[in-house]
Amino acid sequence: MTVTAEARPRRTTARRRSASARYEARLGLAFVLPCFLLFLAFRFGPAVAGTLLGFFEYTIGDSPTFVGLENFQRMLHDPVFWQALKVTVLYTVLYLPLSIGVSLGLALLVRRSFRGVRLFRSVFFLPVITSLVLAATVFTWLFSSSGPLGELIGGSWLASPVLVIPALVIVSVWSRFGYGMLIVLARLQDLPRELEEAALSDGAGPWQRFRYVVLPQLRSTIFFLAVIETTNSFQVFDLVYVMTSGGPARASYTLVMDLYDQGFKYFDLGYASALGVALFVLTLFVALIQRLLIGRAK
Amino acid sequence: MTAYRALEPGRAGRAVRVALLSVASIVTIFPFYAMVVLSLKPVAAVEFPGSLLPWPLGTGAYERVLGGGDLPMWTLNTLIYSVVSVVLVLLLASLAGYAFAKKRFPGKETMFWSFLAMVMVPYHVTLIPLFILVANAGGVDTFWGLIVPTLANAQAVFLMRQFIGALPDELFEAARLDGASELRIFVTIVLPLCKPILATLGLFVFLWHWNDFLWPLIVGQSTDMRTLTVGIASLQEQNVPLNVVLAGATVAFVPIFAAYLVGQRYLTEGVTMSGIKG
Repeated sequence: MTVTAEARPRRTTARRRSASARYEARLGLAFVLPCFLLFLAFRFGPAVAGTLLGFFEYTIGDSPTFVGLENFQRMLHDPVFWQALKVTVLYTVLYLPLSIGVSLGLALLVRRSFRGVRLFRSVFFLPVITSLVLAATVFTWLFSSSGPLGELIGGSWLASPVLVIPALVIVSVWSRFGYGMLIVLARLQDLPRELEEAALSDGAGPWQRFRYVVLPQLRSTIFFLAVIETTNSFQVFDLVYVMTSGGPARASYTLVMDLYDQGFKYFDLGYASALGVALFVLTLFVALIQRLLIGRAK
Repeated sequence: MTAYRALEPGRAGRAVRVALLSVASIVTIFPFYAMVVLSLKPVAAVEFPGSLLPWPLGTGAYERVLGGGDLPMWTLNTLIYSVVSVVLVLLLASLAGYAFAKKRFPGKETMFWSFLAMVMVPYHVTLIPLFILVANAGGVDTFWGLIVPTLANAQAVFLMRQFIGALPDELFEAARLDGASELRIFVTIVLPLCKPILATLGLFVFLWHWNDFLWPLIVGQSTDMRTLTVGIASLQEQNVPLNVVLAGATVAFVPIFAAYLVGQRYLTEGVTMSGIKG
């Protein structure tokens, strides 16, 4: 008797609690589902479909035919793919150190506060939010034979098979360094002052303080930037499309240009999907290598 | 304190710093200057260095680009694409972020982790199936075909979840005890508290859509459905005179610059937030 008398109120609160938990669960689902369903339909689903489609031959209006690894074999024997890969890698190899170097250097220069520092910081941010298409239209002229940079070398950068990639790299650095600068700056401002002060009182000069005190503490930030910027450079498209269309003679033809042409010019959607998979694998592979390199340096 | 002072550069160091930063600023600003000055040139073919001098100037290119051409239509398209997307992304992401932060429901962890995992997958892997999906549903050359696939923004959901997660539960409990409905709590308590993060996110989503190129290039195939970036790229392709192309570019730059002037603090905070936590 005493047992039931004790148990009853407990059971009703438990029931009430479970009712409110059920209500909460329904509510939570109702709030998440609109976003999650869109995510399934337009992000998750297409990612799975895109990977599968790499193993099919498919064009709009046709039914897909399973071809196994044929698309990937074709890719390996396609000189256009190798050219695109070479261009993409070369572009990334030039872009990465330059952009990180500029970001790092400027972050160090605007690190301490002084009169005008806010103005400098904000000037460097403007290109970051400017569309690459707009940048491309101006830089096309700057690099042309009638523009100041073209004048510098006595011809057009974009018509030269050697200079076209450096030109694209310069535009990318211009448009992205402000982002990297802000990321490094945020980290620099979190660093404890004491370490640098100690190094200073031990007689370390500015370069030594940077090399042995500041730089080691920036390792994870630089790793983060390197991964982000590598992913971005592997996917370079807007600039190339507007400034060179991949020319001259495919000297600036990148992987995403190849993907775009295969998919939306020749409607070879299976092969284009295979290129997307290759891009993904490549990105993962490089992120892994960067992780190992940074890990070993530690 | 003295040690801290000593970390500051001396007089010579300060001069070098200002000199370097000035050079970098000029290099940064110069393309914008060139864009505006060349767009104001009365004739198309101008040789360097005369082309960079701020005279003679004329508004002929603007009359041409705003008067007869497609630019006003492209501007309207871009506005619709950007503004509608901002409103819907903010709504969807704040609802989902609130639920992920404060509610318990089945499948929560799975859903959240699938959002997280997809951030790693490059956009281009999804591009072809996305196009097939939209094309089969008749979405080519429509606004919904342009907008709907861009609404599931995982990064926006993360930021909202993180921000709402840091709000104390007592704020909601008090309203709940007063008998307020959940929807009411969301609208009158959660959303107003989220103003700063909504401003940051809204600016980013706006700029992302305003500057977007590849997706509108694929979906907006007719001239009437182009956005500004796609339209300006097509002008450049058709060998339209340089001053006209750059007048179009300058018009497209105006809202970017306005967002920069108004919301620079929010934008830079957003970068460091996503950068450190991401």
